[in-house]
Amino acid sequence: MQVIDYKCPNCGSSMVFDSETGMLSCHSCGRKDDIEQFPDPLRENVFSEDEVVEYHCNSCGAIIMTESETSATVCSFCGAAVVLGDRLTGTLAPAKVIPFSISKEKAMDAFQKWCRNGRLTPNGFMTADRIKGITGLYVPFWLFELHNKIEVHGLGTKVRTYRRGDYQYTETQHFDVYRKIDLNYVQVPIDAAEKMNDELMDKLEPFPYDQLKSFKTAYLAGYIAEKYSYNDEELYPRAKEKVSAYINSSIQSAMSGYSTMSYTNKQIDTRLQHADYVLLPVWVVHYDYNKSEHTFAMNGQTGKVVGKPPISMAKVSAWFASITGASFISLKLIALMMGGGLW
Amino acid sequence: MKKRNILAILFFIAVYLAVPMEMSLASAELKTLIYDEAGLLNKEEYNELNVMANEYSAKRETDIIILTSTNDDNIDVMKMTEDFYDEKAPGYDKPNGNTVILTMDMRNRDFYLAGFYKGKEYLDEGRLNKINDKITPDLANGDYRLAFQKYIQTAYKYMGFRPGVNPDNILFNGWFQLAVSLGIGGIIVGTMAYRSGGRVTVNRQTYEDASTSGILERQDTYMRTTTTKRKIEKNNSGGSGGGGGGTTGGGHSHSGSRGSF
Ligand SMILES: [Zn+2]
Ligand SMILES: [Zn+2]
Repeated sequence: MQVIDYKCPNCGSSMVFDSETGMLSCHSCGRKDDIEQFPDPLRENVFSEDEVVEYHCNSCGAIIMTESETSATVCSFCGAAVVLGDRLTGTLAPAKVIPFSISKEKAMDAFQKWCRNGRLTPNGFMTADRIKGITGLYVPFWLFELHNKIEVHGLGTKVRTYRRGDYQYTETQHFDVYRKIDLNYVQVPIDAAEKMNDELMDKLEPFPYDQLKSFKTAYLAGYIAEKYSYNDEELYPRAKEKVSAYINSSIQSAMSGYSTMSYTNKQIDTRLQHADYVLLPVWVVHYDYNKSEHTFAMNGQTGKVVGKPPISMAKVSAWFASITGASFISLKLIALMMGGGLW
Repeated sequence: MKKRNILAILFFIAVYLAVPMEMSLASAELKTLIYDEAGLLNKEEYNELNVMANEYSAKRETDIIILTSTNDDNIDVMKMTEDFYDEKAPGYDKPNGNTVILTMDMRNRDFYLAGFYKGKEYLDEGRLNKINDKITPDLANGDYRLAFQKYIQTAYKYMGFRPGVNPDNILFNGWFQLAVSLGIGGIIVGTMAYRSGGRVTVNRQTYEDASTSGILERQDTYMRTTTTKRKIEKNNSGGSGGGGGGTTGGGHSHSGSRGSF
C-alpha cells in the first residue's frame, strides 16, 4: 500500500489535481472533489519500514519506473497519477504545498511568448517541435526562519566644502557610529533538490506564500514531485549566505547619512528558528536547439520564466549596430546643434 | 531579414560619418595661394601645399593664403599682412573678399595670422590664437612644410564650426563620438544578453519580518572636526599669442594673432 492513486468514485478513471479550480477532478466524467475535505490516504495508512524496491501501479499492475527522489509521478503504461506514499511520510512529510495555478497549456503558451519576446533569441528557436518535454514539478524547498541580532560600530564622516576668499575649505566631521539591529527573516526559500540548478531556482522567486496550503497528497496527483536531497541542517549554510547579503544592505541603510563609513566592528549573531519543508510548483521545459538542450523553469504560480536562451549573434550584431548607429547620429546632431560641423 | 539589412546600412553610414572625408582632387584651375618669397619650400612641397590650400579654400569659400618674406625693408609683420591684402586684393568670392593669411617675417622670425570678412567672422582672435599655438612648435623646429600644412588644415577645420563655439570641444571629435557610441551599444546589448535569462526580483525586504525587525539602538557620537584648505588656482586663459586685429590702410578690418619663433 505504498502507492496511492485517486480512482474516481463515479467512473473509476484516474483523477488529477486541476490547477484552474484547485480541485481534484476526473477528466472522464467531470467529477470534482474539494481537496481540503478529501480524506488524505497518508493519514490512514501506516507504511512498513522495509526498503521498498518496486512500486506497482494500482490500476494496471505495471512496475512504476522512478528515480529514487521521485515521490509522485504518472504510470508510464496507463497514465494513472500515482503518489509514492512512503516517500512523503515521517521526516519526508512536507508541511505545506503551493499548488499549481498555471495549467500545462497556459505554461506552454507563456513559454512560447517569452521566447518570441526574447530580443536576442534566434528566430527559429521557438517552434513547437523543439519542446522535448514540459513537466509540472513540485520542487522540494526548505523555508528558513532566521533571526539575526546585529551590533555594528563604525567611523563615519560628514564632509562639507566651502569657499572663502582664494581658498577652498574642506571641513570633515568625524563621528563614532553605533547601531543595534534586529533582522528577522521568515520563509527564506532554499531549494533542496539536487538536480535543480540553484541559480535558476533563486531567480524564480518570489513565490506567493499566501497560497501555501497544508500538505495533502491529492495536490500532487498528475504531477511529478520530488523528495528533498538535502535536509535543513545541510542547507543552513546556504540560507545564512543568502540572508547575509540582505543583512549587509540593511546595515548600510541603517548607517546612511554619512559621506564615508568604515566599519570597525560588525557582529552578526544568526539563529535558526525553524525550517519548514514545502513543495513549490515549477514548470520545467526542455528544449532542443542546435543539438544542445536548454532548460527553462517557470514559477507555477506567478508565471515568471527563467533560464538561459540561446543567443543569436546576428541579432546581437544587429542590435549593437543599430544602437551604436543611433547613438552616433544623435551625437552628431547634438554636435551640429552646438555649432559643430558634420565632419 | 530586411530590418537587419537596414540596420547594417545604418552602421556603415555611422562609420563613414566618423571618418573625415578624403577630398577628391579638384580638376579646376589652381590659384596661387602660397607666396613663398623667402623660399622656405622646395618645388614638390610647394605644389602639394598649394593644391591642398586650393581644395580647402573652395570648401570654406575663403582663400587660405601663406606669405613668406625675407622682409628686406624691415616692415612690421602685421603691416606687411595688411599691405599684402590691400595690394594683391585676394579673396575667394571677390577681390578683397574672404581670406585667411599666414604671414612669415623671416628677418625678425615673426609671424602673423589674419582673417578677413568670412575669415574674420569664423576665425576670430581666439581661434587664430589656437592655430598660433599649434604651429609655433613646428615653426621653431624649422619644419615649415608641416607647420603650413597644419595651418591650412586647422583653419579649414575651425571654419566648419559656428562662430563663438569652442572648435576643440571633444564632443565635436568624430572618433570620440564613435567611441562613445560603441560604448553605449556595447553596454546596452551586454545588459540585454545578461538579462535574457531572467533577473532576481527579490530584495532585502522580501523576506524581512517588518514587525519584529528594526533598529533597537543608535548612537552617533560627534568626535572632532578637521579642516583642510587649498588655494584656488586662478586659471586665466593666458594666451601665448598676442596681437589682435586691426584695419588695413584700404579700410578692411581683420582679426589677428601674432607670434614669433
Ligand atoms: Zn469520473
Ligand atoms: Zn498503470
